[in-house]
Amino acid sequence: MEQINPTRMELIKKNAQIKLAEQGRDLLREKMDALIREFFHIMETVSMSRDQLEKLSNAAQHSLLIAMAIDDPVTLKSASFATRQGITLDIKGKNIMGVPVPIIEKRRFVKSLFERGYSILGVSGRIDETAEKFEAELDLIISLAETETALRRVGNEIQMTRRRVNALEQILIPELRRQAKYIEITIDERDREDLYRLKKVKKIIERKKKKTETAGSYA
Amino acid sequence: MEYAYVNSRIRAMKSRLLDRRQLDQLINKHDIDALITELEKTPYREELERAGVQYSGVTRIEYALRKDLVRAFRNLLSFTSGEEEENLLAITLNRYDVQNIKTILRGKRIHATPGEILDCTIPAGELDEAALTELVKQPDVKSVIDLLATWGIVYSRPLTKAFKEYSDTRDMLVLEYAIDTYYYQYALATLKGGETEDHRVIRDMVITEIDISNLRTVFRVLRDQIDREDAKRYLLEGSSELGLATLLSMMKGGTLEGALKHLEHTSYQFLTQVPPEYVSAQKISAFEKELDRYLVRKGIGYFIGDPLSIAYAIAYTWAKYAEVTNIRVIARCLVSEVPEKDLREALISV
Repeated sequence: MEQINPTRMELIKKNAQIKLAEQGRDLLREKMDALIREFFHIMETVSMSRDQLEKLSNAAQHSLLIAMAIDDPVTLKSASFATRQGITLDIKGKNIMGVPVPIIEKRRFVKSLFERGYSILGVSGRIDETAEKFEAELDLIISLAETETALRRVGNEIQMTRRRVNALEQILIPELRRQAKYIEITIDERDREDLYRLKKVKKIIERKKKKTETAGSYA
Repeated sequence: MEYAYVNSRIRAMKSRLLDRRQLDQLINKHDIDALITELEKTPYREELERAGVQYSGVTRIEYALRKDLVRAFRNLLSFTSGEEEENLLAITLNRYDVQNIKTILRGKRIHATPGEILDCTIPAGELDEAALTELVKQPDVKSVIDLLATWGIVYSRPLTKAFKEYSDTRDMLVLEYAIDTYYYQYALATLKGGETEDHRVIRDMVITEIDISNLRTVFRVLRDQIDREDAKRYLLEGSSELGLATLLSMMKGGTLEGALKHLEHTSYQFLTQVPPEYVSAQKISAFEKELDRYLVRKGIGYFIGDPLSIAYAIAYTWAKYAEVTNIRVIARCLVSEVPEKDLREALISV
């Protein structure tokens, strides 16, 4: 145990620290509950989107397989030259109980027939269908990126808050209580010693007094 | 031209095409290595061995198929070299030139490497590998068009005309639409006035391709609910059976079901037999598959055409195309472990 001054002032300080730590623990617990509620809410969205993404991905892969088989992969790659371009996304942020989470700008990547950059006269509907399905998949992946990042960050914050609550509950508050108890015991001990000492002094004084009185009567 | 000699050569080439039994054997293979071993027993052996140096698995097969197709079509062109019929046969094979030019222009726009662009070309038309290599070496879109014009390639004309609009908008669609439309216009213009059986056969196939292209456009426009006026410019002229008026009235209805009604009592009546679930799901690829099969069937049907005409060569080009496509479908389906029933369903002709 660290060096503690077993004084009443120190005891008052320790009790104030215990109260503050308990208040902090309660607040952190409330935050954790709110975060867990938010976590499950996001989790539901993520789980639904994941299922949807899996279905969409399977459909896109099937379309790609058919397009590659019938139209030849080189035709497909040639069409991809026409549509190849970068994607710019605007990302903002918001706070969920103090946790910063990203908000990705909602943009539709599904393009219309004439927006893909190639002439429809020379590209088959199979390639179109494949492009359309992968564009829809991209839409979903981007929205999933937003919710999954939020989920991961909220999850990390829950873990961190739980660690803080545990640290307060298991280490800091018991330690402060132990210190307060130690101070109390020490002060009580000291009080008892003082009382004993006083009683002893009183007894000595009384004994001396008695001796003096006895000596006076003999004289 | 001596059709007796040329068609004998083509007949020999036809005899090397895979028959139904061989195709069934390929379908029954359990993995890609077994398929390659089986293919090595066919005339594809030579190309497969060459492809094996660079590639493996399904890529090896696809590379070998492409090379074999190119070799077969170049042989066809060499049989008719210097004759008037070469121009007629070239009309059919020029679709590969158009596709290659578009690939090069697309690649140049995004600054793809020459190797990457060249890998995506199929030199089965008049522009051979050397010409395509020279084209991909050009630094930009303008230089490619200029080089085509210098060589006197007819497809440089629509590109030169459309280039100003392209340089203003940077929209590749402008150039692609110009060259695609010109391909059919040029083919019909070349065939105009010709009354021989050769002209009739080629004209018939070109018009069928125009019809199929227009039907695909109409179906896609209806599915995506695109404005009729916007879509009108993507319709090709030249067909008497499905003229612009018919196509526009198909689009006017606004639904696939309505459009299909217009096809009753036409050569494309078979499209009304497409299962209703595909119609309601607006699955254009289902219609496209039927149209592709129709085109291949019609092309192959010319094997029983006039034996002293270009019909036999045309039939061979379609039969070879169908065979290569079918083998590719089998290879891809084997790799992806597609059930046999679905594999057979995906074949372009059976």
